[in-house]
Amino acid sequence: MGNHAAIEVNQLHIGYGRGARRHLAVAGLTFQVEPGETVGFIGPNGAGKSSTIKTLMGFQYPTEGTVRLFGEQAGSIAARRRIGYLPEVSLYYPFMKAREVLELYGGLQGLDRATLKRRIPELLERVGLAGKGETLLKHFSKGMQQRVGIAQAIIADPDLLIFDELSSGLDPVGRYDLREVLLELKRRNRTIFFSSHELYEVESLCDRVIMIHGGRKVADAAVPELMEQLKAGNGGRGQSLEEFFMGLIRPAEAA
Amino acid sequence: MLRRQWLIARTIFVEALRRREIYAIVLITAGMLLLASLLRFFDLQGLHKFYHEVSLKVMTTATVLTVIVLAARQLPREFERRTIYTLLAKPIARWEFLLGKYVGVVLAGLFCLGLFMGVFCLGRLFTQAPLDWRLFGQFLFMQGLAIGCLAALSFLLSMLMGLDAAIVTAMLIYLLGQVMTNAMTVVYEFTGAAGRAVLITLNYLVPQPALFDLSAKVVHEWPPVPAWVLGLATLYCLMFVIPYLGLSYALFRRRAL
Repeated sequence: MGNHAAIEVNQLHIGYGRGARRHLAVAGLTFQVEPGETVGFIGPNGAGKSSTIKTLMGFQYPTEGTVRLFGEQAGSIAARRRIGYLPEVSLYYPFMKAREVLELYGGLQGLDRATLKRRIPELLERVGLAGKGETLLKHFSKGMQQRVGIAQAIIADPDLLIFDELSSGLDPVGRYDLREVLLELKRRNRTIFFSSHELYEVESLCDRVIMIHGGRKVADAAVPELMEQLKAGNGGRGQSLEEFFMGLIRPAEAA
Repeated sequence: MLRRQWLIARTIFVEALRRREIYAIVLITAGMLLLASLLRFFDLQGLHKFYHEVSLKVMTTATVLTVIVLAARQLPREFERRTIYTLLAKPIARWEFLLGKYVGVVLAGLFCLGLFMGVFCLGRLFTQAPLDWRLFGQFLFMQGLAIGCLAALSFLLSMLMGLDAAIVTAMLIYLLGQVMTNAMTVVYEFTGAAGRAVLITLNYLVPQPALFDLSAKVVHEWPPVPAWVLGLATLYCLMFVIPYLGLSYALFRRRAL
């Protein structure tokens, strides 16, 4: 069990529609994420990021290929026990209090009442919602709801965190708080896999970046390695991941 | 294992408890019933029967409508809020999720029925109408079975069609079920083989809520029904609930989200 990759995607194909309307969102994607790694998953809109993440979570099924998390089939109960997940946008139950929502998610994850009673105030403080536990969620802004989302994702201290569009809906303070939470999880050797459009965020947090375009992997390397590639191909003038990203995506779009 | 279902059920119950809609329906109903009960000042004969008839009809109809709407919107709402993703990301099987939702809707329906019962009892303070409490208890039990049946049906319909269509179809099936019992007894003798086949098929596909309705007995102060009738009604309810929920699960089990 301990020797398995945290995420193992092998020749993944995800298709939508039938016949002439058949569209492949992901075509032959293969990658691995090792335990303890922080990996950014980037690509333009429609590249296949969300489809891949949904397949990792078992919400969608591969047309071809395999997806395994810690050696377990994606979507299985055993795999989900070890995952914390945050979707791009999620509005939680408006008629429930923040504490109740976290009790729900923590309970589903198998935490007992005593643990929840201790952990929920800590978590609310960590995501910048200290003292808001008894407030109904209908009084929360979108950003505050996203913070509740972060809290529910990390409530059981999962081995693997999967975030679809990290920091979506968060203000600068929220982004800073989220980055602190992720850095702390990273220090504790948790595996983090997230998609994001914020390339600065990816650059500052990740050990490695996987870039996809048109459902295919176009880059998979450590951030310093990508920077070296950028500099080499650009006469030593490369500055950022953003330039690398644009350098790969723009020619493909023009073609 | 049951804790997970209960946690899901509790969200529906808590929401029903905190939303204003149910209380608004109850208040409007209370107003109507109190108005009906005030008619006793006109010294009308048999007023209590009128009060019982009106109030039980209003109570059951309002409860049924609430349950249908509540059950039909459960899954579409989860998709709309996208909470389906965060919930099913946790280690909960899809059948546990569905069962929790179903139990939550039934509990919310019973809560609604309980509120109406409170209003009914309040109205009786004005009319001082005689009431056989044992029969009234049986009436409530049978209403609970009707709630269970309609919640399962609305769930299934919400898997097969959009929210609005599911609500309208569930209501139409409820109305069809109301007249089917009479149709079966009256029309069956006078129809041909094809007509009988249709009636028999409908009999097994569509629950007949009229069979759960003891309001006429309450109104006319007839004696309570024997226990075996309640047992048979329970079996009849399960005869629909189990396939409806089973089919809902079959549709939801491998559905891409």
